[in-house]
Amino acid sequence: MVPAQEKSVRHPARNTSSRDWRSAALGIGALAALGGAALLMRRRTRLDPRRKIRQSAAAMGGSILADSAMEHLRGGFHNPAMYAAPALATLSMLGTTGNARAARPVHAAAVAVGAAGLGFHAYNILKRPGGVSWNNLFYAAPIGAPGGLAVTGILGLADAARTRDHGRLLAGFIALATLAEVAEVALLHFRGAWHNPAMVLPVTVPPATAALLLGQALHPRTTTRPLARSALRLMGAMGVIGTGFHIYGVSRNMGGWGNWRQTAFAGPPVPAPSSFTALALAGDAALDLIGGTP
Amino acid sequence: MMALQDPDPRAIDGHAPDVFSRDGTVPMRQFSDREEVDFAIVGTGCGGGVLAAKLAEAGFSVVAFDAGAFWWPLSDFASDERAQDKLYWLDPRISEGDDPLEFGQNNSGRSVGGSSVHFQMVALRFRPEWFRSRSLLGYAVDWPVDWREMWHYYDEVERACAISGPVTYPWGPKRHYPYRAHEVNAAGQVLARGAEALGVPWAPTPLATVSAPRGKSPPCVYRGMCKIGCSTNAKQSVLVTYIPRALDAGAEIRDLAMVGRIETDKGRATGVEYHRAGQWRFQRARNVVCAGYSIETPRLLLNSANARQPGGLANSSGTVGRYLMAHLNDAVWGVMDDEIRWYKGPPSMACCEHWNYIDDHPDKDFDGGYSFMSQGPLPTDFARMLVTNEGVFGTELRRQMALYNRMAGLKMVGETIPQADNRVTLADEIDDFGLRRARVTYSYCDNDRRMQRHARDFMARMLGAAGGRDLLETGSTAHLMGGCRMGNDPETSVTDSDGRTWDIPNLWVCDGSLMPTAGGVNPSMTIMANAARIADRITTLAAHGELDRAHG
Repeated sequence: MVPAQEKSVRHPARNTSSRDWRSAALGIGALAALGGAALLMRRRTRLDPRRKIRQSAAAMGGSILADSAMEHLRGGFHNPAMYAAPALATLSMLGTTGNARAARPVHAAAVAVGAAGLGFHAYNILKRPGGVSWNNLFYAAPIGAPGGLAVTGILGLADAARTRDHGRLLAGFIALATLAEVAEVALLHFRGAWHNPAMVLPVTVPPATAALLLGQALHPRTTTRPLARSALRLMGAMGVIGTGFHIYGVSRNMGGWGNWRQTAFAGPPVPAPSSFTALALAGDAALDLIGGTP
Repeated sequence: MMALQDPDPRAIDGHAPDVFSRDGTVPMRQFSDREEVDFAIVGTGCGGGVLAAKLAEAGFSVVAFDAGAFWWPLSDFASDERAQDKLYWLDPRISEGDDPLEFGQNNSGRSVGGSSVHFQMVALRFRPEWFRSRSLLGYAVDWPVDWREMWHYYDEVERACAISGPVTYPWGPKRHYPYRAHEVNAAGQVLARGAEALGVPWAPTPLATVSAPRGKSPPCVYRGMCKIGCSTNAKQSVLVTYIPRALDAGAEIRDLAMVGRIETDKGRATGVEYHRAGQWRFQRARNVVCAGYSIETPRLLLNSANARQPGGLANSSGTVGRYLMAHLNDAVWGVMDDEIRWYKGPPSMACCEHWNYIDDHPDKDFDGGYSFMSQGPLPTDFARMLVTNEGVFGTELRRQMALYNRMAGLKMVGETIPQADNRVTLADEIDDFGLRRARVTYSYCDNDRRMQRHARDFMARMLGAAGGRDLLETGSTAHLMGGCRMGNDPETSVTDSDGRTWDIPNLWVCDGSLMPTAGGVNPSMTIMANAARIADRITTLAAHGELDRAHG
């Protein structure tokens, strides 16, 4: 028998602690770098706010398309109505690239389908034993997700925004949409037991941003506007970093990305965080309109 | 038969298997047989594994022995029921009495990590009143431990195993699970619908498998093979939680090391004689802890009899081996209209503790309590159950098995009453190591039978209310408790509340055999919490210089 090896043991055997601080630190560092760059960035060419809104609608549509397509595929499209979400997200997204006036019915349809989707998802939750219970809110159809499609449609329609009052209205809407998304993220990150400390970012940065944006909608003071804009840029950067985190999150499921046909569906939704970036872009456009600056 | 399946010892040459890899190793401290270690622990399951980790972390030198193998779950665990029989203690025991126990998958593990390697991960707590069931509820005996102390240690072990449980639990004092409950599968929803129809609460079962990533453990993928060993490491068994901690803290794990005898000298334990790699060896130790569960712990104490203690070690009260308990594990099965596919996910995803928390009810004609859970038996397991309980065979067995995907079931975990004559003794037959085999005598009492009847009726009503047809009842037992119970009186118990035997001050017991009562829930969390508590007590005693002092 080999003699005792005195205290040569480091800590390789152990299951690492439940919180994944290393990846969180990496992600927060990346957020600091990207967010900092975004904050410091001077706008060389000023984009027309309407174009920003269109880009925002396209980004939101892309996020919703990928997310609903994946999740409904996971659900086997067992109800034919489940095809409506990715279909309308596609049409609405395409609508932002062409003739704005012609696309309006499409955007309106996206709003209607999104609203109806909320009803479908609520039904899916309620029909399970336990009704409105944590288990059903965690695992049945996500209660707020179809709202994203409605937001896409509304952003598509907001293409017509021109005036300062339109800007305030849009700022208020984006603030509320952000808060709604935060509620959904809070629910699902709670389900994930905040196993990665960075999971608190999307329930802290966006509410602060939404508050500043709401402030601009109600009292469009120029003094706080730069702060609101900075917060939006940080939230936009967070959407990008969040996508990175979700890609990493998928890799932590059994088999990693090599087993993507399971893990991409079972893990955190990769397309979801980018919707924060889309909302940030639309918020930025709203501030442009409020400030009267193209 | 077992020997053929065992690999060679793997925790050797300063290395032990890295359970998070397919075949890697991690450094392990090793002790020579001549070195007198602080603790020689016999068994590495919910009792010994937890104790080994915590004592090593407290700075003691620890060698933990296990008769079973040290598995790499990622490469050793097959999705095959028969191949996984290697996880069970199947070495013959003589089983007798009116209701002889069947040993194996339902109650006896044989692996580093113990039975937790194949347990169904149900992580329930005792009802607080059960720790004083004699004083408060009028049956059985009180524990020598206060429920609040146990509650503290339940919290500790639930955090250590990242239990995934419901946000609000309908029964008992508040508890907070570190991870969220898993999605209840269709089999669990059958229980839920039935419970709602009968107007009793139900809950997603708190389970020891993670619902989100945890360190090197990926979240559960709902393969449903939990009972034959989790091959993804989502299951937070002792093998992937406390054993790595023990190794990190400098404990040595000796796999495939069967301890046959505890040596004593002048009334003190001096070490253990163990068989490993073809030869008998002797490890010196300042303290010896028996953690081999309710059959092997009494068997070891009895097999260690000597001239001074001819009735077995620590057996001056004659209690060693007595008050053995099993849980009633009767079930009701039914055919559902919808496809259930109950093999998906952990086997018991919904539970009902209603009858654990009811004392005065006109229908309740028994002492103690029972819980029951939704079921998801694997095909061979279910077929075996049909054959043994129903006697069906041939075409009829085939017909019934064809309904497998549409079946649902409810199975009880029922508290039996501790009886002195339900016991472990030694048979005259010897095993391959030359050790006398265990003889286990077990009979239900009238209370046990009344509970059994009550539970079968209630579960049948619930399953019927959920839409189950062609109901079928089966009987069985699960888990083991007692056999070396702790207590406040040296005349009627083997150890004090710290697990220290009354007779030999440096001989301890730390496993399910300490349990004075069985409770109506799966015992793993209680065994672990009790072990965590004992570890802290030992550390405190050592700090006060009381480790070597005898009682009184």
